[in-house]
Amino acid sequence: MTATTRRSVRIPAEVERIAEVRALVRGVAEASAAPVACTDDLVQAVDEAATNIVLHGYRGQPGWIDVSAELVGDRIAVTLEDEAPVFDPTLVPEPDLSVPPARRRPGGMGVHLTRLAMDDIDHSPRPGGGNILAMSRRLDPRPKEDRR
Amino acid sequence: MSLETTIDRVEGDETIAIIALDGELDASNFESVIETARGLYDEGVRRLVIDLEKLRFMASSGLVTLHSIVRIMHGEEPLDPEGGWATLHSLEGDKQSEVRLAAPQPAIERVLTRTGLDRMFIVHAYRDAAIAAI
Repeated sequence: MTATTRRSVRIPAEVERIAEVRALVRGVAEASAAPVACTDDLVQAVDEAATNIVLHGYRGQPGWIDVSAELVGDRIAVTLEDEAPVFDPTLVPEPDLSVPPARRRPGGMGVHLTRLAMDDIDHSPRPGGGNILAMSRRLDPRPKEDRR
Repeated sequence: MSLETTIDRVEGDETIAIIALDGELDASNFESVIETARGLYDEGVRRLVIDLEKLRFMASSGLVTLHSIVRIMHGEEPLDPEGGWATLHSLEGDKQSEVRLAAPQPAIERVLTRTGLDRMFIVHAYRDAAIAAI
């Protein structure tokens, strides 16, 4: 393993800074020789997760997000930590695309994309306050839906 | 990587505008693209091609952008970004034809498919094909 297969960064909780975490995760994925679809999924998931923290966690209040990405065996693990109010995105109901539009539950697009991108997502409260969101994706060239 | 937006026009009986997106469309810049489309509508443009060939990344906020542009071209207000699925799919059914998507990369195409937005848009493989068809 080289140094570039594990990286971390702390950013202010501002949407203008989320490009930095996308770049970090893309860098680790590319250094790990991840397939393109895997890299794309990792970048999508970390963006959606970080954006949710900024918009729905901190809700415009000052804060920070710690992001780390690491090659672990046959997968890349991404972890986000914040000190926003506790929110578990894994509990957000899956949108039902078969339901007529007017009856659908609002929200959840970012969580929906994250679920489809990642193989594992785990939320836990952060000691001292906040959230730890740990996600991983296998180094598989196929999108998750093509592996069913 | 930021987002660069380029506007071209094909003049004819009815002007076709092309918005080409280059870079990454995310929560920090999606509203600027909506405003670009609103400006074109205010100029009288009613047919629009969104060229996605150089768009490397699209967040879920980009979906709001695409749907808002359709609404603007219909003379309606853009979406409330907090509205989520209920508003995002309000045009589901017949594919609308005033706004065409062109040349999405696989990552962008996957986002469209995973959210069902591919069912709302006619997507062309090439920009020129979209211009010819609209």
